[in-house]
Amino acid sequence: MIGTTRKPLDEVLQALEGKEKIVVMGCNGCAKACKTGGDAEVADMAATLTGAGKSVIWEVTPERTCYIQHTTGSLAGHEQTISDTDAFLVLGCGGAAQVARQALDEMGFVKPVKIALNSVGHLDTIIAGKLAIEQCQECGDCVLNETGGICPVTKCAKSLLNGPCGGAQDGKCEVDPQRDCAWVMIYDRLKALGEMEKLYVYRDPKDYSKSNKPRTLVIA
Amino acid sequence: MKITDLFQDKITVFTSEVGPVKGCVRDTDDDTTPKCLSEANLVKDYVHAINVTDNQSAVMRLGSLAGSVKLKERGIEPIYQITCRDRNRIALQSEVLTACSLGIDNVLVLTGDHTSLGDHIAAKPVFDVDSVQLLKIASGMKNGYDMMGHELARAPQYALGAVVNPNFTPLDLQLIKMEKKIQAGAEFFQTQAVYDPKLFETFIKKAEKFDVPIQVGVVFVKSAKMAKFMNEKISGITVPESWGKNLEGLTGEKAKEKCVEMTGDLLKEIAPMCQGVHFMPLGWSDLVPRIIDKVFK
Repeated sequence: MIGTTRKPLDEVLQALEGKEKIVVMGCNGCAKACKTGGDAEVADMAATLTGAGKSVIWEVTPERTCYIQHTTGSLAGHEQTISDTDAFLVLGCGGAAQVARQALDEMGFVKPVKIALNSVGHLDTIIAGKLAIEQCQECGDCVLNETGGICPVTKCAKSLLNGPCGGAQDGKCEVDPQRDCAWVMIYDRLKALGEMEKLYVYRDPKDYSKSNKPRTLVIA
Repeated sequence: MKITDLFQDKITVFTSEVGPVKGCVRDTDDDTTPKCLSEANLVKDYVHAINVTDNQSAVMRLGSLAGSVKLKERGIEPIYQITCRDRNRIALQSEVLTACSLGIDNVLVLTGDHTSLGDHIAAKPVFDVDSVQLLKIASGMKNGYDMMGHELARAPQYALGAVVNPNFTPLDLQLIKMEKKIQAGAEFFQTQAVYDPKLFETFIKKAEKFDVPIQVGVVFVKSAKMAKFMNEKISGITVPESWGKNLEGLTGEKAKEKCVEMTGDLLKEIAPMCQGVHFMPLGWSDLVPRIIDKVFK
């Protein structure tokens, strides 16, 4: 999922300065899982904005706001409300906010779309409802087959491909002593799997052209 | 002079280290000498070469290449350190060509401390290539080609060095990386600071098969506070408890005397196990001649 955190309220109100009639749009996908943009958080934000003197004229939470068909489907039939609003406030990732803008554009509306969250990465939930961690950087050139299923590009702070730096102490990373050194984890894993020979293989520099931005995926 | 020539002559090779100033270096009318150059002057007659660090600890300073060239101009042999933290593969290759063009004969390749440990924590860490890859790239350049296989109008020449941490656990993992560095072109090694002779002996015995020159690294411990700080904050180094205790309450010359004594005793034991010593004086460069006189003359 795409991890999200709340922007400070002051920053949100600053973004909405001069806008009175607001539509609050959430996302019942990743933002719901992060407890930052599901139905409950949309209702909370609407109450907060009302308390701050705004007029919230609609609360809407598409199934997954980054899927344009869900967003367009949620907006259809609400053209008058959309026409009346001064701005949308999206409680979703940066992708959700931009898909919402595109959906509005395609419906013929030019409306400010503001965002109430910060996107903080492609994260995997490892304790449901409590904790998600980053494990994949979508580098376009996966090395998991060679590294015991542990990604050094993401889990090593320096994305080293040929073994650890000298900074780890007691198996912990020099950047964050609470975190395991990715290469010590890879070593332990490959040892357990009987694949130690993989540690001796020289790995070429990554082809970062595969992650040049912005990327496009032709699905069909 | 390539430092590798000295190892071939089977002499004990001494190197020291200076960190460039946070500021620029220009010849001025006021006769002031930047600290890094005055420190180099203190040791130049005792060591064979001096490392110039590359934005050490991710703290922004004068570039290591400028520092290295300034030493070279003063007749002091520099070991130019280059890290993978701040430059992508284009900049690294260009920098290595520039270094050779400016007379640098020794290049020491490191990964580099992470940006989050320095004084510009919001900086984007680069790490486009790692130290093994950079060694291989720099070796390839000596053969006349850049990493993409494009021919160079003139191939650079330099001795390529690397670092290894004998304190690392599991040691075998560090040795695998060392072996990869050698295969990638590392011709000599300097170690992270070591204070435990037994640990160093274990490392050296395992590294013997590589038949590559190794200089043991030693950081001067200047106070009990510094010993505590190194143990708590500097990953990969363990200072014995007794060192901190021995320095308790000592300042000035008394602290220096104790540092010379402890470091000297350590080197008497561990220096004969390897091919040289790399001093990291951290501002106490004046102790380098005293220790060399005490232990090696």
